[in-house]
Amino acid sequence: MATRATDAPSALGPAAGEPLQRAIAEAEAPGEVPRAKILIVDDEPKSLYALQELLASLGQELMVAASGEEALKLVLRHDFAVILLDVRMPGMDGFETAKMIRGRERSRRTPIIFLTAQADEMNSMFRGYAVGAVDYLMKPVVPEVLKSKVAVFVELFMATARLRASEDKLRRLAAHLISVREEERTHIAREIHDELGQVLTGLKMEVGWLARRLKEPALLEKTESMSKLIDSSVQTVRKIATGLRPEMLDDMGLIAAVAWQAKEFQKRTGIRCRTKLAPETKLDLEVSTTVFRIFQEILTNVARHARATRVDIELELAEDQLRLEVTDNGVGIAEEDLHGRKSLGLLGMQERALLFGGEVSITGTPGHGTRVAVTIPLRRAGEAGGAAAATVRKANAPS
Amino acid sequence: MRILIADDHPIVRHGLKQMLASDPAATVVGEATNGDEALELARKVEWDMAIFDFTMPGRSGLDLLGDIKREFPGKPVLILSMHSEDVHGSRVLRAGGSGYITKDSAPQELSTAVRKVANGGKYVSASLAEILASECSSDPQKALHEKLSDREYRVMWLLATGKQISEIAKDMGLSPSTVSTYRTRILRKLGLTSNAALVHYAVRHQLVG
Repeated sequence: MATRATDAPSALGPAAGEPLQRAIAEAEAPGEVPRAKILIVDDEPKSLYALQELLASLGQELMVAASGEEALKLVLRHDFAVILLDVRMPGMDGFETAKMIRGRERSRRTPIIFLTAQADEMNSMFRGYAVGAVDYLMKPVVPEVLKSKVAVFVELFMATARLRASEDKLRRLAAHLISVREEERTHIAREIHDELGQVLTGLKMEVGWLARRLKEPALLEKTESMSKLIDSSVQTVRKIATGLRPEMLDDMGLIAAVAWQAKEFQKRTGIRCRTKLAPETKLDLEVSTTVFRIFQEILTNVARHARATRVDIELELAEDQLRLEVTDNGVGIAEEDLHGRKSLGLLGMQERALLFGGEVSITGTPGHGTRVAVTIPLRRAGEAGGAAAATVRKANAPS
Repeated sequence: MRILIADDHPIVRHGLKQMLASDPAATVVGEATNGDEALELARKVEWDMAIFDFTMPGRSGLDLLGDIKREFPGKPVLILSMHSEDVHGSRVLRAGGSGYITKDSAPQELSTAVRKVANGGKYVSASLAEILASECSSDPQKALHEKLSDREYRVMWLLATGKQISEIAKDMGLSPSTVSTYRTRILRKLGLTSNAALVHYAVRHQLVG
């Protein structure tokens, strides 16, 4: 339903921080009930007036046009729940007008009800359907019939708008949860690593000090084993902290982190990783986090389902976009698994990418491996909202 | 030997001072709790070497090291870090650090590092040396395990992590006899004769983790 996509409540904010919270608050604020717009097109002022009178009781916003040209101008600026279109008009007639309205992406699906004098008969009726009329009313119209038909479309329009709004809200909520989780992980990782790790370091030094002053072998043995326990605790701390959020990502950036993760993955699974990475560059931290998390998810899937023995990882940086491609030589993914209930992980990757105006495409043939390609536009500062909003619109548009 | 130390954790500074106290030639002339303080201190007091924590609030890590080396190019800086060598080690050396030592190193190792760096040398721990060596031999074709096919590599890894032939067969969807054939081929390619040697090889080349 591309017609109203641009009307969706405020554009999606960036993944984190205040704008997002504001957006959520706005979405949740009990606003007034929105009114649907109805367009009435008729060259006869009397007829226009009568139709307006008739439909006023629906309580929606009525707009009028006295010609096809005028109607098109309005369609350019507004999204209508339904258009009542007179067939016989001087200049551009109803059919032509309808064709033009249908020709535009934004109004491609706007319902059109043709109004025609009975004299026009059946053949114009078929012509009407051919250019996209959804209904036909004979003049003079029966008030109750007109009203109830229009009411149906208004209801449909409202329901769609509500659905879209809640979809949007859910998407924003998901984005918010992702960023909250990331913040929390970062925080906990740092806390564990720095605080706990440092205390252990201090403890280790204390034990060392003690050991240098002891002569008795049994006691020395004790300090030795204490020291070993501390070492293994430090290792555990490091493992937990890195598992939550690799410090590489913050210290050295995405490219180094991807290289590191690939190496770790090979060590942990025995699946050979070949990397072809762009030279290290500083990238936006949120974009880096997103790409890194998607990358981790891809590797998790490879380890879990692919039965692969090799993964090729390629990360390219162009002026305006980042492209990550991960190909494995495993069993491949079946089409139904891409959309099945078990594919929440895949959906999560897509949603993450979407937040930055990017996309994730997965192609696989059973038996011949899977390829996941991630593209994210690289934005300059301040463009975050714009990019994300564009994507949401795109996402809402039908294909 | 006038030493400057910087670490945001009192307990670590305390331990460091305690350790340095046992060396009569060493005097701690200044203590900083973050990177900016460290830089300020370095400009204020006379010092011969510095021991800095890698991760501190404010300016830290490679940025701080770079600043210090720019202003005091001749003076040695030893980096102390919670992070293992594979993450930052070689970068610190490349950025002009005289040494990189992890905080879980044995106290003796720490004193060795301090002495070495104080005398104008570079301190490289055994594990960092290993990493540097593998970085130097950047031609991956040289390592024997690079000659294994992808499938052989994974069988090798599974063997190195202690999996039985039958388990490997199931894991990879192969027959046990095929896996045995693979094993023979792997041992031949790596010039080894037993599973134990294979485990040793994998550990030494950091193929398992």
